[in-house]
Amino acid sequence: MFESHNDPVDVLTAFVDGSMRPIRFRWQGRVVRVRKVTGQWARREGQAVLRYFAVQGSRDDSYELCYDARGPSWVLSRAWTGPA
Amino acid sequence: MILLVDMDAFFASVEQAHHPYLRGKPVIVCGDPSRRGVVTAASYEARPFGVRAGMPLAEARRLCPHAEYVEGNPRKYVEKSLELLEMFLEITPDVEPFSVDEAFLDLKRLPGRGQSLESATDIARELQQRIWDTHGLGASIGVGTNKLIAKMASGVHKPRGITTLDEERFRGVFWPQDVQALWGVGPKMSEHLKALGIATVGALAHAPAPVMEQRFGVVGEHLIQAAWGRDRTAVIPYHEGVDPKSMGHEVTLPEDCRDPEFLEGTLLRLSDQVARRLRADGFKGRTVTVKLRDFRFKTVTRQRALGVAIDDHGGIFEIARALWRENWRGEPVRLLGVSVSALEHGSEAQLEMFAGRERTKALQEALDKVRDKLGEASVVPAGSLAHRRVLGHVPFGAPQKRAPGDRGTGYGQGADPSAPDPTQLKPRLPRDES
Repeated sequence: MFESHNDPVDVLTAFVDGSMRPIRFRWQGRVVRVRKVTGQWARREGQAVLRYFAVQGSRDDSYELCYDARGPSWVLSRAWTGPA
Repeated sequence: MILLVDMDAFFASVEQAHHPYLRGKPVIVCGDPSRRGVVTAASYEARPFGVRAGMPLAEARRLCPHAEYVEGNPRKYVEKSLELLEMFLEITPDVEPFSVDEAFLDLKRLPGRGQSLESATDIARELQQRIWDTHGLGASIGVGTNKLIAKMASGVHKPRGITTLDEERFRGVFWPQDVQALWGVGPKMSEHLKALGIATVGALAHAPAPVMEQRFGVVGEHLIQAAWGRDRTAVIPYHEGVDPKSMGHEVTLPEDCRDPEFLEGTLLRLSDQVARRLRADGFKGRTVTVKLRDFRFKTVTRQRALGVAIDDHGGIFEIARALWRENWRGEPVRLLGVSVSALEHGSEAQLEMFAGRERTKALQEALDKVRDKLGEASVVPAGSLAHRRVLGHVPFGAPQKRAPGDRGTGYGQGADPSAPDPTQLKPRLPRDES
């Protein structure tokens, strides 16, 4: 089941050719390695731009991460970690 | 030649592309799945169960309990739509976005290609493959000699179909079909036509022009031409733009409500959202419409024309509330909507005629600047707070963690109360759910 979390997370991030991508993150006591970034989008909140990444973990797990440059901080907004 | 690219189950497909585990499964995009609401989009895997966009979520759950219910994210879909638009513009500069998931491409200016149906079909095939390879999204494409034919052809084979029609083949396909299959003929027009004995597109093509003109005015002749597959409407390129006809917002309430204070707070919030959009795009409007759906799904829309065009939430709310008070009989309300139409580009002169409004205008501009900088939730009309509290729209944009069962919209999706409702992602084509 897809669940909303909005948990603050630590994210190891790479900056390559002017673009940013999450490499791995720590969530609920474990480290998730990002196998693939499957989508990106952004949302404005006033002058701030929140950058979202849909990512696949190493197993059949899927997440949405949000980067807020104001912090800077990362939030894990949604996760799917297996059938309900 | 014209192409109409129609993205298949767009919102659900974007979610499936972003989250591979959703691929091949029934996916239903909606508002917060823990609340009541309607289906915004259903993947093709969900459709055999009878799930359709606009259907109440409770009914969808009954029909397809094993589906994945995913909270929609309008910003995500708009961004994907813009990426697709960029791709279309690489083929031709003559692209008219028709909605968030549809666009017309006019191939007339392509050097040496796209001038015959065969060549245009080749381009459609390449484009369909490119959309799949780049974005993992399916598209159905209609190829036609005009916009009407391209649009109607796009719906013949879905998903991932390509249908090529000229006028003659158009008539072969559509003449036997119900008159409502014709683009532009809705349920009400269909009723009127059937009352005249015109039940199919073919019958409409052969309807007597004087009768049609007498009954429907200039639209009558237009309908007959459309039934023959004739359309001279030009593709209006993206960069030339088309002014919207109306702007509106609507909301399905968390539960049926008969509390006047809450309902008026909701109208105020909707008026504020509409006003903000009007000002952001430099429009004012002369007609305010309120939409009210009760617990029996009976929908009433009422509108009032104004002497001057307005763009302030106070003015819009005043009219919306008056219309609501005149038409609400105390029944539990399921859905409320506010829209403004008869739009014109904002004129400073009108406001200057009313010296007393200068202060209001200055205040409005200051508030807009605060919201531009800090976000939509940084300043809200106090009267809308009761409504926002129930929906978890926290003023001052405070990030909130959403616990299971919590009604808060949280930091990620939906924290911004003015974010477009997925059902309203076609601002240039307002859709009446009724």
